[in-house]
Amino acid sequence: MNYYERPTPLQEQANLEAMQHFAEHLKQFKANCEDVHNLERNLAVTAKEAIQSPGRVIQTDNGVEWQHGVELMKGISLCHRCTASGSEFAVVECLPFKTGEMKDVLNRGYNAQEVLQMFARDQRQVLRLWKGDVTAQVSEHVSEKYPRQDMSVVVESFEIKLARAISQTYVHAQSQSQSRGVRI
Amino acid sequence: METVPNIEEQAQNTGLPTPPVERLAYSVQEAADMLGVHYFSVYRLIQRGKLKTCHALRGKILVPRAELLKLLETDLR
Repeated sequence: MNYYERPTPLQEQANLEAMQHFAEHLKQFKANCEDVHNLERNLAVTAKEAIQSPGRVIQTDNGVEWQHGVELMKGISLCHRCTASGSEFAVVECLPFKTGEMKDVLNRGYNAQEVLQMFARDQRQVLRLWKGDVTAQVSEHVSEKYPRQDMSVVVESFEIKLARAISQTYVHAQSQSQSRGVRI
Repeated sequence: METVPNIEEQAQNTGLPTPPVERLAYSVQEAADMLGVHYFSVYRLIQRGKLKTCHALRGKILVPRAELLKLLETDLR
């Protein structure tokens, strides 16, 4: 297919169908991107809130006790504790496995803002991992549904949607030149 | 001599549902369902290296069953 050609009716149909099939993924993905954006925008405020909040005590799986500070995302909190070297901060994730709860330290350090920055940077990596996996799932889905048809345009439009959700400014220019006519 | 339990016995011990046909690997969504967590948490476990993965032909992430069992065993200890 020519790069600048308009998508065929079949490609349009496949795109619409894939949009419906992966609607929940897209919604969740955008919501998580928004959470990371919000976290990055409010680093200082969140760090201050965590210090001021004398929350309940949480013992992580490594045996360390932390005071719950502020919830960053569902099941993930910024916690703190007093040490001889000053206040230490940690991002703690509680995972309610079927076999029992896992309380894991994701990031830790003595500067709350730096700890939050590390966490936000890691979440961006997680989003990229998720983006790659969803794109692969879309590719698998359309190739099974429309065998022997060129549906790369559908997969690309999805990839652009996800990339745009991760980084609005970077993808804006790309989406205009690479959408190849599929509505994104 | 101590015997090593097979994968089905391990699954029963750790509370994992036993599928009708044993599979070697699962998608992220399936892994999340088996662990009882949201799939974004599974991506986080992968990013942190707590779950090792392999990839299907088109790049889709697959979590080996053995990795799920290993994670749950570590967590239970």
